[in-house]
Amino acid sequence: MSNNILEVSKLTKKYGRKTVVKGISFEVREGEIFGILGPNGAGKTTTLEMIETLRPIDSGTALIDGIDVSKEQYKIRSIIGVQPQSPGFQDKTKLTELIDMFAASYGKKVDARSILDQVDLGDRANSFVENLSGGQKQRFSIVTALVHNPRVFFLDEPTTGLDPQARRNLWKLIKQIRKKGISVIITTHYMDEAEVLCDRIAIMDRGEIIALDTPKKLIKDLLNRGFKKRQHVEQANLEDVFLDLTGKELRG
Amino acid sequence: MSLRQKFLTVWVFFIVNLKRLFRDRMALFFTFLFPLIFLFVFGALNRSTSLSFKVAIINESQTIVATEFVKNATANKILKVNSEVKDFAHANQLMSRGELDATIELPKEFGEIKNGLPSGTAIVHYTQNNEQAAQTITSILDTQFQEINAKFTRMPKPFSVTREQNNEHSLSTFDYTFTGLLGFAILGAGIFGPMNYFPELKKMGILRRLHTTPLRVWQYFLSAMLGNSVSGLLSIALMFIVALIVFDLKVIGSYLSLVPFLVFGIVLILGIGLALGGWAKNERQAAPLGNIIVFPMMFLSGTFFPRFLMPEWLQGITFYIPLTPVIDGARMIMAEGKNLIDIWPQLGIMAVWLVVIYVIAFRVFRWE
Repeated sequence: MSNNILEVSKLTKKYGRKTVVKGISFEVREGEIFGILGPNGAGKTTTLEMIETLRPIDSGTALIDGIDVSKEQYKIRSIIGVQPQSPGFQDKTKLTELIDMFAASYGKKVDARSILDQVDLGDRANSFVENLSGGQKQRFSIVTALVHNPRVFFLDEPTTGLDPQARRNLWKLIKQIRKKGISVIITTHYMDEAEVLCDRIAIMDRGEIIALDTPKKLIKDLLNRGFKKRQHVEQANLEDVFLDLTGKELRG
Repeated sequence: MSLRQKFLTVWVFFIVNLKRLFRDRMALFFTFLFPLIFLFVFGALNRSTSLSFKVAIINESQTIVATEFVKNATANKILKVNSEVKDFAHANQLMSRGELDATIELPKEFGEIKNGLPSGTAIVHYTQNNEQAAQTITSILDTQFQEINAKFTRMPKPFSVTREQNNEHSLSTFDYTFTGLLGFAILGAGIFGPMNYFPELKKMGILRRLHTTPLRVWQYFLSAMLGNSVSGLLSIALMFIVALIVFDLKVIGSYLSLVPFLVFGIVLILGIGLALGGWAKNERQAAPLGNIIVFPMMFLSGTFFPRFLMPEWLQGITFYIPLTPVIDGARMIMAEGKNLIDIWPQLGIMAVWLVVIYVIAFRVFRWE
């Protein structure tokens, strides 16, 4: 066996007559951050959901750490962490209680307080989720998905709707997670995010993977094909201005 | 995961959700206060229907006998004398509004001495709709007069009747009402709770998120059963306290039979709520089906009026509705002092329903 944590082969999903994922194959290496990019409706979320055991696989296989996703759902669920597109939590429940519930779902007991401290939410331990800001909620959601030290962590468009500070903070957090040896699979619409975070990316369109490589290699290939971009002389862009004026430290 | 770990999951969910319940004012209102309101309303209704008649006495006589009569009548428990009424115009007005059942007139010559004895005739005035009340009042007065007559004339009485209470306990209206209200409380918490809460959890993607963990449906259900049993028993305990103190509820049976029986009832009815809430994708799907199931069950199982008032064929059918054996069983334990073995037919029907309902609930459950 290679050191691939995820091996996907000829994965297919049909809704009625429409094939939304058309027999795609790819591998994710242990410890890498792997990005799946593509326009809306390209099949990114469906692909993730099949790998996460949330949707039945019509044909093809997906193996996580050598375990067949469609055959051993519960084993798979105990080694993956999932951050959905819009995470929701039950109201009137303290953060520590929610951490306890998620840990319990995996049959584990954890020190909720120290887990919250890791993402600077220690002082909000007794708050309810409905009183957190968008960025805090996102960070909280990520630690709830990691309470059981999964092998693979899936994030579906994690930074949509966050301000630039919160986005940068989240990137830092995702890199820290990878340092712990957890492989990360992420979908996104933001190219800058993919370029900063991902070791390799797959670009999906109409249910197929149309390109798969490191961001650098994909750019180099494009340039080799003779692509020329209008030259920019500016050494900064509007986001740099925004961050320079408002500072990089995290709000809320 | 070991079995111990699996039950740890159930336990943590149970504890956290129970804490959450006590932070949710709406849920507290519907779980605890709502059944109490019904208890007070129905309890008060039952009190006022205890046998008594509202009457006015118009005394036009000056005799001692007449004055004595009024005094005795006012002390009578069955006659509630409205002492504000002094003339016929006022009395007639109140009678036509239904605020008085009858008016007793003592004519001028009432109690005057004739043939060496005080004598007279009291007249009971009543409106068309109060025929029965007037008859009863007349016979009550008649009895009183007979007693007085007996003092004046020493005639032997060949026949007489006397009354004696036996020790058998019979059901009062309130006993019926109270077990019905228990059924209502169980129905409300067990069905409306999950029916409203689950679709909301789905809408917010909370169940979907839990679905990515190894959590199993039975663990989720079991924690809900524990939670509902605890909150249901607390709510019922509150109803008992009020019923015992305020409405003189009589409980003959043993609480040791009653508590496990009620837990069984709560878990059974909760299954219907879990099936509905677990199946429905959103509130709009849950509500109509919920109402189709809940309202007929509420009226046919004897929650608000006893089933013995129904035609026989309907009693036969409604005997098998899930809530009926819960209410009947509770009444048989509380009011008739039966134990769990005596009520095996009820337990049997409940057991069959338990299996049917939970098989359906597991099959139709959806995480999103």
